[in-house]
Amino acid sequence: MLADSVKVPNSCLRQSDETTPQPRQRRWRDRFDRQWQTGWAFALPGLLVLAIVMGFPLVYSAVLSFSSYTLMRPHVLPLVGLDNFASVLSDPGFWAATWLTVKYSIITVAGEFVLGLGIALMLNRTLKMRPLYFALLTIPMAMSPVSVALIWRMLLQPNLGIANHLLNQAGLPSIDWLGSAETAFWSMAAIDIWQQMSFVVLILAAGLSALPRDPYEAAEIDGARGWQQFWYITLPMLRPVAAITVVIQLINELRTYDLPYVLTKGGPGTSTEVLSFFAYRRAFLGLSLNEGSAAAFVLLLIILGMTVVFFALLERRRA
Amino acid sequence: MTTKRRFIGLAGSLALLAVTVQAHAEGVVLKALMEDVPETQIIEGMLPEFEKQTGIKVEFEKIGYADMHDKLVSQLIAPKSYYNLLEVDFLWAGEFPAAGWLTDLQPLAKKSSFDMGAFIPSTVDLLGNSSKGLYAVPMYNYSMGLIYRKDLLQDAKLGAAYQQANGTALKAPATLDEYVQLSKFMKQHANIAGAAMQGQRGDPNSMEFSNYLFAAGGAYQDASGKVTLDNAAGKKALDLYLDNIKNGAQTGALSATLDDTQRLMCSGQAFSFVTYWWMLPQLDNAEKCPSVAGKLALATMPGGHGESGGWGWGIPKNISSEEQQAAWTFIQWVQSKPVVAARALLGHAPVRADAYQDPAVLAKYPYYKVAADVVASGKSFPIFPYSAQYEDVLGTQLSMAAGGQVTADVALKDAADGLTKLLKK
Repeated sequence: MLADSVKVPNSCLRQSDETTPQPRQRRWRDRFDRQWQTGWAFALPGLLVLAIVMGFPLVYSAVLSFSSYTLMRPHVLPLVGLDNFASVLSDPGFWAATWLTVKYSIITVAGEFVLGLGIALMLNRTLKMRPLYFALLTIPMAMSPVSVALIWRMLLQPNLGIANHLLNQAGLPSIDWLGSAETAFWSMAAIDIWQQMSFVVLILAAGLSALPRDPYEAAEIDGARGWQQFWYITLPMLRPVAAITVVIQLINELRTYDLPYVLTKGGPGTSTEVLSFFAYRRAFLGLSLNEGSAAAFVLLLIILGMTVVFFALLERRRA
Repeated sequence: MTTKRRFIGLAGSLALLAVTVQAHAEGVVLKALMEDVPETQIIEGMLPEFEKQTGIKVEFEKIGYADMHDKLVSQLIAPKSYYNLLEVDFLWAGEFPAAGWLTDLQPLAKKSSFDMGAFIPSTVDLLGNSSKGLYAVPMYNYSMGLIYRKDLLQDAKLGAAYQQANGTALKAPATLDEYVQLSKFMKQHANIAGAAMQGQRGDPNSMEFSNYLFAAGGAYQDASGKVTLDNAAGKKALDLYLDNIKNGAQTGALSATLDDTQRLMCSGQAFSFVTYWWMLPQLDNAEKCPSVAGKLALATMPGGHGESGGWGWGIPKNISSEEQQAAWTFIQWVQSKPVVAARALLGHAPVRADAYQDPAVLAKYPYYKVAADVVASGKSFPIFPYSAQYEDVLGTQLSMAAGGQVTADVALKDAADGLTKLLKK
């Protein structure tokens, strides 16, 4: 009765809704404000550090890549537009280094993934001494790339190294591991795979152990064989973890610098000159920080491009 | 009484001030980035004596040559350099002063009456010093010569085989052609590498090739500054260099550095190597290298001229005046006559002329007479602001030619064009 007798205009009702929050709404807004402020308070120090250690160098090198800054003439001005990029892109050595980097990255990531997946699958079925195996596997990953390169350089030393000594003991001829344009690239790739594979093993092993058991039990009841289970259950379910692993490793490999620097200095000839090393030579031997920065930014674009393409392919496959 | 008390107070204050200034000078710690070579170890062993005399502490950070340039440059372009005493390679002697990173030592030398006349003139010129400024005081030289196994030259069986193959007696080579021929012969008949070659791209192969170039009568530039690397002498030098690295050198020569060649020679697995003359006392050592000790000899590069090189002491601009003064005190001490003589007795490669005539030094190291010839006959790699980059350009071309990626003609032309381009930069 009361509702019928007291008629409230709709416009007033709407206004009342907008201007005067109901108690429940107010609680949410207050909570949002508090959460928002607390969140920023926690995130701000980290973001500031990131801005200083990552943002500033990135912006600074971007500025350098458009400037006339060299070590002999350390002034940013005048800006030279895209001249540094044109200079880098017109160098045949740049394209050779780019192609080599892409080839190297694909080969090493493929090698790391195939071998890493194999080892992860074996470890997934192993019950005894798993912690020991994992501990042993993390040793290469824990070593710095420079140490790894120095150790392998000694092992592969063609005249006094252990690798050729063992080959000779087995009645096989010595191999010029790093001194031949044909073998140096593959030696470097093999060392890289050896070191980086442990990361792939750890991530994939974690992914495998998290997979549900139900599909496998159902498949076993249906009579699926081991490889069928692997192909139709393990691989599809592992795809998200595998994709992330591949992307991380791809980014790592595209940025490879330490191994060629210590092992070969990009040689023999230009057979191991990857793009990072090319950028370094421009910046520190050519004293042209501007051109070195431009080369580094091109590398950054390549990494971004390859990452986007990889994820796009993955999404399309999923769709 | 009051005046006396005031005087004592003033004297005390002055004494305290003097002690404070002294303490301040003594508090300076000199930090230098040094190449990890025997020369550094020799000086390092004498540092306690310097500290005892002056109260100035000196710390050496020792690393391989390949990493030194980058590490130094990053400090020299910083607002304040961590290193306040510099070891400057002659290859950077064009770049560092041109970039304005080094203190002109001329006023300091004049003020302290430091005798630059005691140094062998070529070692001073090598560091780019001129009337315009003194940016580096010579530290030691690393002129290159030939170290070879004299026992193998006296081997009757090898002598007969050489006579039969070439129609001449087996002896130390006098020309570059003879050297390469001998190197290939040793590889074939003595079952060891004829030459331990440092063919890694960059500084190692550029320095090594320079010896072949000068030995063949070639030069990077003529007197007018025009690039002459790709003339007939340059072509001959490159052909012989490639012939030796392919047919006379050890397996893996294209990735070898100075350390690799030194180890190979020490193990007795090579007949010869073109290297820094001060390697001889390191190898002719029964404890370190029993396989070859007593069997080695030093000669100037066959053909008469080898690559000349040297290090100098410099002081960065971006440090305090106290540090600069302390660094200069150290430089004066370490290059003084008695300290140089003491260093020479430990195997130092002197840059002061008097050390090569020192009777005690000559009695201990008779080959210092030959070393003096090696230093005197040496020729220099082009010194200009982009010398380090040119090493890389030349080294890449040499490595590509040796690895079969390009022909010798293309490599030589590109190396010459690269030099012309950088000289104009």
